[in-house]
Amino acid sequence: MFEKFSEILTNRHEYARDWKKRTGGKVVGFFCSYAPEEPLKAAGILPVRIIGGHKSSDKVGKYIAPNIGCSFCRDALGRGLEGDYDYLDGIVQGQTCLHTGEAFWVWQKHLPVKFSYFLAVPHSTQTIGREEYLAVEYAKFKTALEKWIGKEITNEDLDRGIESYNTNRQLIRQIFEFRQQDNPLVTGSEALDLALSGQIMDRDEHNAMMKEVLKKLPDRKMDRDPGTRIMIIGSVNTDREFMHMVEHECDLPATIVIDDTCTGIRYNFNDVNPQEDRLMAISLRYNHRPPCPNKDWPRRRRIPFIKHLIKTYKVDAVILFNHKFCQPHQLDNAVIEREMKAMGIPTLTLEFDIRIPIGQFRTRVEAMLETTMDII
Amino acid sequence: MEEKKEYFRWVESTYVNPDIDWKKAEVVSAGIDVGSVSSQMVVMCDGQIYAYSNTRSGSSSPNSAKNAMELCLKDANGLTLDNIHYLIGTGYGRVNIPFAQKAITEISCHGIGANFMYGPTVKTLLDMGGQDCKALRLNEKGKCLNFLMNDKCAAGTGRGMEVIAEILKVPVTEIGDRSFDIDEEPPPVSSTCVVFAKSEATGLLKDGWSKNKVLAAYCAAMAGRVVDLLNRIEVEKDFAITGGIAKNKGVAKRIEKLIGVEALVPKMDTQIAGALGAAIYANALYKKAKK
Repeated sequence: MFEKFSEILTNRHEYARDWKKRTGGKVVGFFCSYAPEEPLKAAGILPVRIIGGHKSSDKVGKYIAPNIGCSFCRDALGRGLEGDYDYLDGIVQGQTCLHTGEAFWVWQKHLPVKFSYFLAVPHSTQTIGREEYLAVEYAKFKTALEKWIGKEITNEDLDRGIESYNTNRQLIRQIFEFRQQDNPLVTGSEALDLALSGQIMDRDEHNAMMKEVLKKLPDRKMDRDPGTRIMIIGSVNTDREFMHMVEHECDLPATIVIDDTCTGIRYNFNDVNPQEDRLMAISLRYNHRPPCPNKDWPRRRRIPFIKHLIKTYKVDAVILFNHKFCQPHQLDNAVIEREMKAMGIPTLTLEFDIRIPIGQFRTRVEAMLETTMDII
Repeated sequence: MEEKKEYFRWVESTYVNPDIDWKKAEVVSAGIDVGSVSSQMVVMCDGQIYAYSNTRSGSSSPNSAKNAMELCLKDANGLTLDNIHYLIGTGYGRVNIPFAQKAITEISCHGIGANFMYGPTVKTLLDMGGQDCKALRLNEKGKCLNFLMNDKCAAGTGRGMEVIAEILKVPVTEIGDRSFDIDEEPPPVSSTCVVFAKSEATGLLKDGWSKNKVLAAYCAAMAGRVVDLLNRIEVEKDFAITGGIAKNKGVAKRIEKLIGVEALVPKMDTQIAGALGAAIYANALYKKAKK
């Protein structure tokens, strides 16, 4: 049912090249999920999230030292330096952590593209004036895009972009809701491929595929024991091998029922509420989306969000998915661990590198699953 | 030609309980722990230890399991694999034990094994194995409630200690005692990295340190490293240590000093804790299945 999403995600570069050929449009890569996709879509551009390939590259160490640089950013940059993203016409970074910023700046310097834009985002999405500030930055971004593509981006264009993305997020949420069932009708691996493929596809095409899935999904029969219901909490999860291992290779059954990641529900939780000032409407959505730790201070609004998901998706255990050297998430994880302990939820912290030691991780995951049940 | 001495080697052992007749047992259960450095098999008769073996692991997990099994059953009064009702595999190689009915992680098995070994008062367990080190919080039944593991580095583990033994040409079993045969406790070595150990140890010896002093500095550094895990998991009494390094007083006593808690005194070979836990699970699961 979800094979097509997985196939496109696996062949994402071929998809983007084919899209360019089919439409004659431009493709822009974005690093962090705080880069607004709606104005890009409005400009007729295909935004694709730049992600790694879980492959080492000897070209990265020259720019980002492996003993201090975030593994996700090193992997993503490595794929760029290896030429996987040679079809990109532009790149955008919505300012969040320094690691993604560093990857953007290295890319800008060493992989020249026709359009590159570093978009300022409020340092905290709790500050006074954040909404107006971001709307002004979006206006500058829109002007830069117009100059590059040589035509005005009208309100009607923005409405089309907003509509496409709102529909996309709503459909993802609808499909995710089937994970709330006692025997979830969507596995975590499938949900990841579904949501992540959206971040590299034309959303209208993605929407059409999801509508087809929704016709059949309510009647789906799952022939697997859901086992322990797991939530993944972290930054950006693209580790399909890990997801597969948890759900299909462990000795004990488990299902990843929800996540708090920017490749999952965190990015798809809220929509743009239409209003006359379209850029302000988009600013409100990005300011009020469930936050990433980079933007979530002085108050930690992530904790109530995580607790809400735990309750709604009946989570038994949590895996804290931390990219090596991702300091913002490491900082949050200490608090999340404490909160989970207070709630009596078993929590396993795993540190992910470009490649993971799958055997060691399996032992840790299985041991955590064993803590959730009485073996004897 | 002089035979090359292997300083890393520890004595492989077997045990058979002379007071138990396995033929009279209702349930004969077994556990095999295939670790990265050592493998053990424990056979239980109605929940009591009947026999065990403790041997080095090879490069193949199935062969390591087979070796542990053959060694364990060699003097077990005719007991064969066919007489064992239920066998559980654990450890790094647990999924590659061809004659195991089920696999359970070494984390859960060490918890249950320590509960049997030390009693139900153990709340915090440190398992110092061949290539990893884990801190566990247990309930009164030995069930693991929470755990932390080292990763990506063999420092502070049995393999790390074996490397030091070879570098300093000191039998691994003597390291603990010799590390206390010093005038004054030296500061821990700056790096516990097994790969860099040779250059660091050589440098210290050149500076006039005795071998014992270098051993003390290594034991202290290894203790400091694993104490990080214990502090993170928060030690609650009683505290116990399993695994091969539990036999190394040089590390164990320094850990006790750092956390300010004495470890319970082991009543049996601490290396068999994982296989013992697996055998206990096997006994319980067999009985549960029969009901």
